[in-house]
Amino acid sequence: MVGHAATVAMVGLQAVPVTVEAHAGAGLPGLQIIGSSQAAGQAAERVRTALSSSGVSLPGRKLLISLAPADVPKGGARFDLAIAAAVLAELGVIAHEVLARCVVMGELALDGAVRPVSGVLPCAASIAGTDRRLIVCDANAAEAALVEDLDVVAVDHLGELIDVLTGESPPRGAGQPCATVPPAPPDLADVRGQPEARRALEIAAAGGHHLLLLGPPGCGKSMLAKRLPSVLPPLSDADALEVAAIRSVAGSGSGYLDRTPPFQAPHHSASVAALFGGGSGVARPGVISLSHRGVLFLDELFEWPRSVVEALRQPLEDGVVRVARARATVTYPARVQLVCAANPCPCGGGERCSCTDEAIWSYRARLSGPLADRLDLAPAVQPLTAGDLLQAGGAESSAVVAERVARSRDAALARGWDGLNAHIPAHAVRRTARAQALRILADAVEAGELTGRGYDRALRVARTCADLEGSELVETHHVYEAHAHRLGLRSPQAMLAR
Amino acid sequence: MTPVIPSGTPPAWAGELAGEADPELVARVVRLAATTWATPERIRQVVDTHLDGPTPTAAAVVETLERLAAAGRSLADEKAVAAAARALAAHRVRVRIPGEPGYPPRLLQAWPELGAPLWLFEWTADGALPDGPAVAVVGTRHPTLDGVATARELAAHLARHGVTVVSGMARGIDQAAHLGAIEAGGRTVGVLGAGFGVDYPRRDGAVRQSVWRAGGLLTELLPGTPPRKRTFLWRNRIIAGLSDMTVVVEGRSGSGALHTARMAISQGRDVMAVPGPVRSPTSRAPLDLIRDGATPLTRIDDVTDALGIAALLAPSPDDTTPPGLSTTAGTVLPLLGASPAQPAALAAQTGATIPAVMAAIAELTARGLAAGTPRGVVRVRP
Repeated sequence: MVGHAATVAMVGLQAVPVTVEAHAGAGLPGLQIIGSSQAAGQAAERVRTALSSSGVSLPGRKLLISLAPADVPKGGARFDLAIAAAVLAELGVIAHEVLARCVVMGELALDGAVRPVSGVLPCAASIAGTDRRLIVCDANAAEAALVEDLDVVAVDHLGELIDVLTGESPPRGAGQPCATVPPAPPDLADVRGQPEARRALEIAAAGGHHLLLLGPPGCGKSMLAKRLPSVLPPLSDADALEVAAIRSVAGSGSGYLDRTPPFQAPHHSASVAALFGGGSGVARPGVISLSHRGVLFLDELFEWPRSVVEALRQPLEDGVVRVARARATVTYPARVQLVCAANPCPCGGGERCSCTDEAIWSYRARLSGPLADRLDLAPAVQPLTAGDLLQAGGAESSAVVAERVARSRDAALARGWDGLNAHIPAHAVRRTARAQALRILADAVEAGELTGRGYDRALRVARTCADLEGSELVETHHVYEAHAHRLGLRSPQAMLAR
Repeated sequence: MTPVIPSGTPPAWAGELAGEADPELVARVVRLAATTWATPERIRQVVDTHLDGPTPTAAAVVETLERLAAAGRSLADEKAVAAAARALAAHRVRVRIPGEPGYPPRLLQAWPELGAPLWLFEWTADGALPDGPAVAVVGTRHPTLDGVATARELAAHLARHGVTVVSGMARGIDQAAHLGAIEAGGRTVGVLGAGFGVDYPRRDGAVRQSVWRAGGLLTELLPGTPPRKRTFLWRNRIIAGLSDMTVVVEGRSGSGALHTARMAISQGRDVMAVPGPVRSPTSRAPLDLIRDGATPLTRIDDVTDALGIAALLAPSPDDTTPPGLSTTAGTVLPLLGASPAQPAALAAQTGATIPAVMAAIAELTARGLAAGTPRGVVRVRP
């Protein structure tokens, strides 16, 4: 009989079941792996050495290992433990029927120790609800245990795997869930002054709109951006698991479920692959996917290569990013809220700015029309004045703002909308607006101040302004406010048109 | 390389370039212009040697220049003269010479000691420059929105009162002035800092075309002469000399507009300046001029008042709040001016909330009463 062990491969975020078969037969003694072109030779050597380190003597026969299905990309050392288990079943060390109820994942050290692998969370989720146990190393156990309705067995050595599966020793569970409390994001109470930017941040949080913060260096653009997660509602169970799964595939999984929306701030020297996902064979998730359901912060927007900024448009529109590589095209979720920051003019701006209006316009022209069209709010962040610094009373805290944001989101839910205002089709939003309010936006399009897409986006922002106010209909003053927040996004031509 | 010795009979091309002027003198002037030697500075030196006697005629100055050029072997050869004549004829240029018919009368008042040019190449659609009063409206190439609006309105006001608007065709205030006059259906004259046939300011051919149609284009440079720093300084004295008054709208310290104003003062013409915010760099030139005695322009009408032209239209509307504005917009509007205002400051001043102030700003922008600039919100007067 051939030894079988079940394990899981990752193609992007998708867990694909893989069966490891082991057969001992006639031939030159040795261990050969087929069905995996990548690093198969190394795995064979590692498994052979780890088995002998664990006191299993290999027979003088040819051991043939097959990984099926053959057309799934199977990279890395994540199948080591499953290969060893299949060999053990074939050699009769462990019973076939015991192994048949297990899924095995782990990398082997030469001394037989089991090491952690990436992507355990989505793998665990894929086998939850079946009658199979998941066997992983100690370091992966807490992460796997985040999935409900799954029996997780932790092993720290190949020897322990043998003992557990032969019934020599009782199986160890995942233990207590990790007691780490995720660090709280910084609080909005630290930000002094900036009423315009705070208002824009609140609207952005309530409706999921994209934000561009314009201000001179040192005025607190990054400070504001970093505080956006603190006013966003905590992630739901499903969203938090999705976020954790992406982190797990990226190799930065943790043993606790973090409900704070992610915040990622890549530097402008980041490559396209780092941002959107990449790597040889099968692409790994990039920063944009790591900020899925959270905030992607691009500081110094005008310093970013144009190609990268333009490439952002597709994921912003679709909420997913597709990365094609030689072995597979993978799709990672990328429903991000974009926050950008930029200086208002070439010299940096501020009180002593002496740039001509012309120079500022040509600087702003770098914000290409198509991207500007995908942003919603562009508040000016002012340099701090002495009055702001001496202000005695503390500013509003994140908790107060978060409550208003949550109320506004509830209003959208009460309408029966299954998403943030920013993602609702424009025709649905139009039905909740007064004709007079729509007229104002239509006039702005006529005057060349708004594009067609800008019209839809301004309308969605106006919807959020109305929700924050608790108004059922979008009134003229909501539309005016939404338009005012867009003034900084107009093209130089539109600014001069009036 | 045979130098051209002035002869008695003018060549055939001279008649066409001369119009009603003396073809022989025109031919001699074109020969001088074809040398790169006869710069305005050198002509000025020659004029100075003549100043002891009675007012020198253009012919006398030309003769001295020819003598000096021949002595210095600086006369143009036949080929260069023919090329210059061909280029001038191709642009259907008239050559204007002080004392001869067609020379702008106000410029003649500055002949010779106040720096009026010895020749002018004039290119007009209907054969002559507009007559009547003229005012130069000049300013920076890098204006603010408010500066552009002021220059346009000022030029339109002048044009409606039959005053020709003179300026230097540069981007910014100059072109705003030209276009303001054209939009009001009036007349405007552009003085170029480069020769005809040079695309300067680049890709602004359409603007030159419309100024040419609405009045005319002038330069003392041969066709094809590239723009240089000094050619702009030469141009400025012609702009000032053509005009009864020079108005400086916006300019930085050391700007060309300041130079034009100084030229106007030295030619005994009036200078007005549009005061701007003290802290704005574009206010430097007009404020310095006002400090040094220029008349501040406090209302658009001031310029026609100073020229002694009665107002044709009703005085500009006063500051009553336009009807139909929301309450917040009505309180925000009087706080807006030429200096950019920030929503936060407006909210603090009016006591309104930020959402209300933002809505008011967009409302005022939509009504054309305010404009959002990269620095903040400014007042716009329709």
